[in-house]
Amino acid sequence: MDIKITQQENKTIVVLNGRIDTSNADQFQQDMTPLMEGENPDIEIDCTDMSYTSSQGLRIFLMLQKSVMARGGKMVMRNMNPQVKEVFDITGFSNIITIL
Amino acid sequence: MTKKRFNPIKDKSSEIIEFLMSSPDIPDDEVLQFKLRLSIEEAVENVVRYAYDGGIGWLEAGTSLDEDSLVLTIELRDAGIPFNPLEKEDPDVTLSVGERKIGGLGIFLCKKMMDSIEYRYEDGNNVLTMTKKVQG
Repeated sequence: MDIKITQQENKTIVVLNGRIDTSNADQFQQDMTPLMEGENPDIEIDCTDMSYTSSQGLRIFLMLQKSVMARGGKMVMRNMNPQVKEVFDITGFSNIITIL
Repeated sequence: MTKKRFNPIKDKSSEIIEFLMSSPDIPDDEVLQFKLRLSIEEAVENVVRYAYDGGIGWLEAGTSLDEDSLVLTIELRDAGIPFNPLEKEDPDVTLSVGERKIGGLGIFLCKKMMDSIEYRYEDGNNVLTMTKKVQG
């Protein structure tokens, strides 16, 4: 699992690569925690190379979405592979997170 | 039948998941492997986190493949606190962001990804059995 975070104007871009699972979810949460604070809440998550997520990842995406919304921002997730998208569909996360 | 007993299981989730995923019974099919990995991770995590106080205890993990029906069976057995994870109510997936609670999706995902999932308490052990047709 590789995470690249860059700041672009007023938006944070997160590029995920690999699997989010029980072996790295704590680290992923730590890496995302700074994004749950601050004045520029908008986040774009590039999922092109995210091959897998379990409920551990979903938990963190929901935390992000809640914090972004609480600050009046917008979070989008882009380019999910069909298997990951199915996990978001089954759990209803597709209805509460913008997936492009 | 591929089977192994892990003891103790504290912090061993990844090792147990990789043991099961590397079984010769697991089909060489990316889409199926995704569903199996997800179900295995959620079920194993459930035992590692909640079955024993402090994770001090064992978990026996195994797979088997019925060559005729091509049904793969994954079995997890532990001697922890008797607990039927299937009795837990499914999360309401229609709630809004504000109403959604963090967590509670693991076993729900197993139910959705596998063809069947059964729990029994047998000889002082929790036994969780999940099946998936792997071909045809």
